[in-house]
Amino acid sequence: MTGLVGALGEAWSELRHHKLRVLLSLIGIAVSVGALTAVVALSEYQQQQMAEQSDVSGGRPATVSISAGRTDGSPMDWQAFDAHVAQVSERYSFTYQTRLVNNATVDIQTPEQVRSVGAWLVDPAYPIIHRTPLLEGRWFQDADAELLAPPVVITEALWDVYGRPALGGGFALQLQGDAGGSYTVIGVTPKQYDGDNEKRVVMLFDSYRSRVEQLSADTPVMWEVWMPEAEVADIGPLLAADLRASLDKSVDVTVSRTDWASRPEMQNSSAMFEMITGAIAGLVLLLGGLGLVNIQLVAMRQRIREIGVRRSFGATGGRIFTSVLLESVVATAVAGVIGIALAVAILRAPFVLTMFQGMQDIPPFPMRAAVTGLIAAVAIGALAGFIPALMAVRSNVIDALRF
Amino acid sequence: MELVSLVRLEGVAKHVILPDDSRLDILRDIELAIAAGDHVAIVGRSGSGKSTLLNLMGMLDRPSEGAVWFRGEPVRKMRRGKLDKLRGRNVGFVFQQFNLLAGRTALENVEMPLGYASGRSFWNRRRTATAMLERVGLGHRIDSTPEQLSGGEQQRVAIARALVRRPALILADEPTGALDVETGGSVMALLDEIASEADAALVTITHDLHVAARARRHYRLEAGVLTPFDLSAPAAGAAAAAAYDRIAPELAESVGGPLSDEQPQAEASTSEDELAADAVEVAS
Repeated sequence: MTGLVGALGEAWSELRHHKLRVLLSLIGIAVSVGALTAVVALSEYQQQQMAEQSDVSGGRPATVSISAGRTDGSPMDWQAFDAHVAQVSERYSFTYQTRLVNNATVDIQTPEQVRSVGAWLVDPAYPIIHRTPLLEGRWFQDADAELLAPPVVITEALWDVYGRPALGGGFALQLQGDAGGSYTVIGVTPKQYDGDNEKRVVMLFDSYRSRVEQLSADTPVMWEVWMPEAEVADIGPLLAADLRASLDKSVDVTVSRTDWASRPEMQNSSAMFEMITGAIAGLVLLLGGLGLVNIQLVAMRQRIREIGVRRSFGATGGRIFTSVLLESVVATAVAGVIGIALAVAILRAPFVLTMFQGMQDIPPFPMRAAVTGLIAAVAIGALAGFIPALMAVRSNVIDALRF
Repeated sequence: MELVSLVRLEGVAKHVILPDDSRLDILRDIELAIAAGDHVAIVGRSGSGKSTLLNLMGMLDRPSEGAVWFRGEPVRKMRRGKLDKLRGRNVGFVFQQFNLLAGRTALENVEMPLGYASGRSFWNRRRTATAMLERVGLGHRIDSTPEQLSGGEQQRVAIARALVRRPALILADEPTGALDVETGGSVMALLDEIASEADAALVTITHDLHVAARARRHYRLEAGVLTPFDLSAPAAGAAAAAAYDRIAPELAESVGGPLSDEQPQAEASTSEDELAADAVEVAS
């Protein structure tokens, strides 16, 4: 106990005494630990961003998509099949489930003319499953379907057509035709990319259905269910079997996962990014470690006398070894902490946040990265301290004291 | 009455093999026993093997032949770790070049040996070291580094360091060698005083007769052979006279002037304590 405390104290005082030397040798270590930590963290950010982007199209993991079609060419009865899906999925009591029609069209009265725009029919769970971001306003709530003026969410391009009026101030779309009526605009989705000019209306499936008698046979309906990733492998096939049962042979049902996690290539690419950048940071760390070994070895030559004095006052070989080893370990651990602080600063830097703009769930500072960095620092310290420590122990006390 | 001596060297010899395969004898057939509280001076020329003898007594080195006993235990049979601990606990070194840790404060230097202790002496090391520095009159310089201290002050720090663990044996290798005569005298007086306060045995190696005169027993080391001689006895003994002849030029060197003819008689006729005072006076 006193031995370890004493050795630690000695190492610390030694470091304080050689501040400049230690500082110089540790810059490399701190920078590389910072790089290593930042790389792991950035790769986590990147993964998160890629995941969020693909969630927009494919849904979050695990999203199961159900689609159907008739093989005999006759028109599909979507109402009947919707009822069938609702009946089957009731048994599973899914929390997030949505219907999706993404090729309907509606005619709307714009300030200049009546124009036809694309319309998506969804359930309130859709934006949750797809993380669809909003520029303004809010998404649907369950009670929205019963409103007399049903709510809609429009794209930014369509909002521009009306001159971007404030939401909640009575801004409503006037639809013509089958689904005609006044629709309150409650939200605006941002442009997906620069120059995104798609004008679209997203409305609740039920609002639309309450106004339109019959869904046209050529506007296919899909169903999406978001379920825990751990259960999808068990539930997926069961759900498919249940849906197919009690249907006539001419209806073909497809049940498949659409989220990114079901496709391994994306995970591979982020692993590759992490591996390459991590390897570079590792090399930098190794170089820093070599520099440290070098400096410690040169310094050791000057310290032989001091070690001789310590030995003559009762320091055992083991104690000398531990002190010299700890000197490097304590130093690199401090450098590691500085490096991690550096990485945190980088991750909080405005330019990084701009780089990952639009990310909804910023991952917390990855502990995995911090731990990796610290372990790497301590390991390189132990490695760098080992040779000088061995040299210190091997030195002859009598020669060291001779003058 | 046969007491167990603190350190005993029995037929100790030390030799090294030179690169050309010839054998160099450093020490030959040394017989020496140091009792607790003893005060011994070993006088000899440079290269006579004084430091090697001190290293053997301090258990830093092992003899080629013969045996070293510490408190009745044979040093040869001890494991290294145990030996290091034994040395730290019982032996305090004072070096000619002080050998303070550069850049570390006086307090840190004096604390250092206590860092290798355990239990209460480890945890109270700061307080003990401060008290020890106050004892050597450096209570106001505890935060000074060796670079900021004079030679005499540095040696006082070294003495505080050697005594901070209350060792039973203090080994001083030319403790005044790097100091002027006056400072050397006061440093030796301090070392004597503290050693007798702590009831520690003090072995001083020196080529300075003034320093040697402070000891109770005297040995002469010449070409690796250790012979006792009586500094305070009448100068009738041929051996003592021979010793004086050999040592006189060195003494002259250390005092910085020729030795007066009367001095041997004067020293011979006075008691040991008076002699010590004389020595300082002559030096000044």
